[in-house]
Amino acid sequence: MALAGEDFCIVAADTRQSDGYHINCRYAPKAHQLSDKTVIGTSGFYADGLNFVKKIKQRMEWYFHQHDKTMSTTAIAQLISIMLYQKRFFPYYVFCVIGGIDENGKGCVYSYDSVGNAERVQYQAAGSGNELLQPFLDSQIGLKNRSNENETLNLTEEMAIKIVKDAFSSVTERDIHTGDCVEIYIIRKDGVECQKYPLKRD
Amino acid sequence: MITFFLVLLQSGNEYNGGAVVAMVGKDCVAIASDKRFGLELLTLATDFEKIFKMNDKCYIGLAGLATDVQTLSEELKLKCDLYKLREEREITPKKFAHLVSSTLYDHRWGPYFCEPCIAGLDENNKPFICSTDLIGCINFAKDFVVCGTTARELYGICESFWEPDLGPEELFEVISQSLLNAFDRDSKSGWGAVVHIITPEKIITRHLKTRQD
Amino acid sequence: MINLDFLNPAENNNVLEQEEANEYMENLSVPTFEIPLVHNPVEFLKHQTHAAEQCRLSIVHGTTTLAFKFKHGVIVCVDSRATSGTYIASQTVKKVIEINPYLLGTMAGGAADCSYWERELGRRCRLYELRNKERISVAAASKLLCNMVYAYKGMGLSMGTMVCGWDKKGPGLYYVDNDGTRLEGDLFSVGSGSTFAYGILDSGFKYDMTPEEAYDLGRRAIYHATFRDSASGGIVSCYHVKQDGWTLISRTNVKELHYKYQDEPKAPLV
Repeated sequence: MALAGEDFCIVAADTRQSDGYHINCRYAPKAHQLSDKTVIGTSGFYADGLNFVKKIKQRMEWYFHQHDKTMSTTAIAQLISIMLYQKRFFPYYVFCVIGGIDENGKGCVYSYDSVGNAERVQYQAAGSGNELLQPFLDSQIGLKNRSNENETLNLTEEMAIKIVKDAFSSVTERDIHTGDCVEIYIIRKDGVECQKYPLKRD
Repeated sequence: MITFFLVLLQSGNEYNGGAVVAMVGKDCVAIASDKRFGLELLTLATDFEKIFKMNDKCYIGLAGLATDVQTLSEELKLKCDLYKLREEREITPKKFAHLVSSTLYDHRWGPYFCEPCIAGLDENNKPFICSTDLIGCINFAKDFVVCGTTARELYGICESFWEPDLGPEELFEVISQSLLNAFDRDSKSGWGAVVHIITPEKIITRHLKTRQD
Repeated sequence: MINLDFLNPAENNNVLEQEEANEYMENLSVPTFEIPLVHNPVEFLKHQTHAAEQCRLSIVHGTTTLAFKFKHGVIVCVDSRATSGTYIASQTVKKVIEINPYLLGTMAGGAADCSYWERELGRRCRLYELRNKERISVAAASKLLCNMVYAYKGMGLSMGTMVCGWDKKGPGLYYVDNDGTRLEGDLFSVGSGSTFAYGILDSGFKYDMTPEEAYDLGRRAIYHATFRDSASGGIVSCYHVKQDGWTLISRTNVKELHYKYQDEPKAPLV
């Protein structure tokens, strides 16, 4: 999942890798840092995810050599959309979200389906637990069905981290594919920080 | 005919759509549902309630195929009334749960396509909730039970919002917020909601103003 | 186009030139797609995207969009919901794709298919402008889109779009879909909620409406479709294409529209 604040952004992913009812690995990172302003979270088929991230990094490297600057978050967002669509007839089985800081220093989140339909949003859950997570985020961050629905939430970093932890511990209760540990990447103007937080291991 | 039955078997629970949730509070229980009646994507009516009163302290919510919801609710109401005439007392929610379970299991090979949620207060006014699957396997819960096409969304949000020992008004707030936000993410339920709070003294029924899409 | 380079291996006598050419090709040629190495890729994909199966791919669907021509130009109205299965993936999709300041495309069917191909269309329209020193006509733009998707006919693309704009001939409105259909018309509605929208549109449509009446008609049609069709909803966006390009008129939440229309007095049943 990912969510954006005014001048920061959070990308969080659990680290369980499972196959049906079977847990293959308890620490398999699904969130990857792409640059000092962008982090990607992938879910779905793990090998596809890893390979996809690798290819993005390669394309970013080429971009760096060609233009002598790191790709901005918005440029990466468009790149991912096109890279996913290039596999329209044999899609990557990955559902990714990227979070980062855009050119204006604002936090931003882009969400994708598996064939590259991109949308810029404020918060997004993806993967096996997305149906469980999304309504909670709608309520807590989107302020849906509240009396102050039309206002925008002034999200602070502490609040955001608390929401992320709450959300993940709730999903871990009910989704068998989520658990073990959650990695929270906090992207600020001056760099990326990664926190780890243990989840239930059942 | 057989093909139709097979199609139903695969999607009976998703044909009409719907959401029901029940929660335990401190000396009270709450049960809530949406009000949509639809045929797959088409919405036909927005006043179809899925919660039925069995007696003053026992309610049942049925989510699933609308025809079965109606039939089953009538059948259960009949059985409850007969129980009352025979025993000269109201059925307790726990006994009612077993009644529902055996009624559903009677149709083991041609089941009703509904998942019931039962909520009520027993003879000592202790809260009781449970749900069953469509052939009557009871799931007793201490916190909340959900069923219908919105089950996954409800599980996620109830898990975050619910906490023990909520009073009637707090419970109303929690169950309403959970239901509203959950069915706003499900295309097959919504279009109004109704909440019943059962307390030892009275039943509070409220209709919620919601999105209509 | 499917890349068939391996059929005639290029001679590698001038690697540098080759690379340069490749780079040029990469930038300007028709995009290429990877095809699964199986006997029948189309069936393979159908199998992969078969709905309601867990651990398969879900592609976002479900929509109501409409556009109509009237005295003062073209009105485009869309909802903003994306569903995958019964789950609502997003309530805030932008279903009007702003191809350039004079052209709008709408999105129905696979969201990725529409946005990708209309972006590609935007690029080609820009190239056309640079080559011919004049803006592309709506007819030509829709034909470009139609030809692009026609090349992939039968491969499982899903797209129902309306290309709207203003050119030398005046307002233009074309319907293009993934089968390669391309129709010119005065009034179209596309998507799962289109039948409901047509009902409202046909009963309220007059050629010489004022712009305000037209905006209201468009919004009303979309609102009624969102009420009846569970795969449509969210926010109603309304655009107006005029001689000097398009403008965004409004974005209104369906929740507000519902309670606004509910409070209005109903017309008497004659």
